Amino acid sequence: MKPVGKTVQGRVLVPGQASGPAMVLDETLSFWGGFNPVNGEIIDVHHPQHRARVGGTVLFISQSRGSAGTPGAIAETLRNGSGPAAFVLASADLNISVGVMVANRLYELNVPVVEIALTQFALIENEINIQVSEAGLISGAWLHY
Amino acid sequence: MTSLQLSPADTDMLEGKQGRATQFAMETIVAAARIGDAESLIDISFAHIDSCFYSGRAHLDFVRYLLEHNARLAVPTWTNTGLVSLNDLSVRDPSAGTGMNEARLLMEAYVRLGCKPVWTCAPYQLPGRPGLGDHIVGSESNAVSFYNSVIGARTNKYGDFFDVCAAITGRVPYTGLHRDEGRQARLLVTLEAIPEAVKSSDIFYHLLGYLLGLHCSNLVPVVEGLAPTTTEDDLKAISAACCSSGSVPLFHAVGITPEAATLDDACFNETAEQVIEFGLDDLQRARDELGQNSNAPLKGIALGTPHFSYTEFERLTGLLQGRSINPGLVFYLTTSRHVYQQAAQQGWVAQLEQAGVKIITDTCTYFSPAVNGLRGKIMTNAAKWAYYAPGMLPVQVVLGSLAECVESAVAGEVILDSWSES
Repeated sequence: MKPVGKTVQGRVLVPGQASGPAMVLDETLSFWGGFNPVNGEIIDVHHPQHRARVGGTVLFISQSRGSAGTPGAIAETLRNGSGPAAFVLASADLNISVGVMVANRLYELNVPVVEIALTQFALIENEINIQVSEAGLISGAWLHY
Repeated sequence: MTSLQLSPADTDMLEGKQGRATQFAMETIVAAARIGDAESLIDISFAHIDSCFYSGRAHLDFVRYLLEHNARLAVPTWTNTGLVSLNDLSVRDPSAGTGMNEARLLMEAYVRLGCKPVWTCAPYQLPGRPGLGDHIVGSESNAVSFYNSVIGARTNKYGDFFDVCAAITGRVPYTGLHRDEGRQARLLVTLEAIPEAVKSSDIFYHLLGYLLGLHCSNLVPVVEGLAPTTTEDDLKAISAACCSSGSVPLFHAVGITPEAATLDDACFNETAEQVIEFGLDDLQRARDELGQNSNAPLKGIALGTPHFSYTEFERLTGLLQGRSINPGLVFYLTTSRHVYQQAAQQGWVAQLEQAGVKIITDTCTYFSPAVNGLRGKIMTNAAKWAYYAPGMLPVQVVLGSLAECVESAVAGEVILDSWSES
């Protein structure tokens, strides 16, 4: 099947602009305790993508989980340059959004957080290149549509 | 899309009339309100913040920004645990990266900001806790679940940075668990097949919490069938475990928690959308998932996640009466400064130290860098410890009840009773 370019209009939670390879998390993740903000690696031994690194990706994660340390870990991974280029969520996740907002403010970054429907996650193939616009438009060469 | 109504005071803060720090805080609250589709903000009366827990330079950069711009707290604000113990900086190897020093600086910065330095993940064990119906900000996940579920105070699961912004502005979006409708139970959990004898062990509540986290993260659950003798320690265990394996910021327990005098009360006189039954096999599976015994030698015991309570101290002191921890083991117990003082006044601290227990305040043992000597096969009575530690520390975990932990500590090897033996 040949890739076909498609777009999805997401809801902007934190404005920004980025592109990168898609990484779709199969399960939610606690960024504090389940994730190493130094190198961007998933360290939750219960997570199916244990040992994967999220750096530079457009990270599709339905929502965060567990610890209140999520915003701190998000801001720290973005400060370190080991974090995702953009977040695409399937919920209005406050902890991820606040972490990104604070990092964007303190470190003058432009990382977007966009919400789409969970059913749209199924459209996304890992590693295909995705663009996220300031207005929340998500585009890429999607294999499944 | 709803439109957000701000009060004149909110608008003043947003426009910077109370300074740059308050403006930044209100910008964050307003952005959060728009993300959560809130129509308004409401006053809070209390905050328990997690932002004092160091996980990187970003934490320090944030509070320094606030201090440089003369931030002031609007409500009484208490601190969660820190990465280090200010009472004993040697608990974690002080040379384990620059983070150890910055962790201390971060804690000191929040004291300068005006927080009450309680340094505990179990602030609800201290006097002066909020009451039924109070709007508050909770941040550490077990505290959020306990405040909502056991006390009936109202908070969403907030987190780092937002918690401080709320404490500075005294305002949060009026959404989620702050609203009546957000608190309605929609998932009924039954325990009919679980013998009462199993429910009398403290480990049952950790396993139940773990299962709630796995199965109930999208609907507010109500548990039917907990014994009237269920204690706050048991409910603490549920709160911590259900927020490790999942996100359960509010659960009800019929006849136990304040918004669930009856099942109908918890469900707002409606029928639950889903019913799920947990049996002994579920408990056993939970226990296996949280850590299986091996032939490796037992190296230590870790208790106090969340922080040990006064009543847990009393119980542990009784179990260790006249006995000693096997000298080949480390035995750590974490608690708050306040409960430590209470236990010390009873003579329990001295008795436990005599038996070989090392008591730590201000921090916890389940995260990295490792507390001194905590490696290899470690036994804990806490599902939260068992869930998180293997990802962060060079440990294998065995989960046991408090009594099993004590028997194992004295014997120097893992001793589990019959139903927990896999």
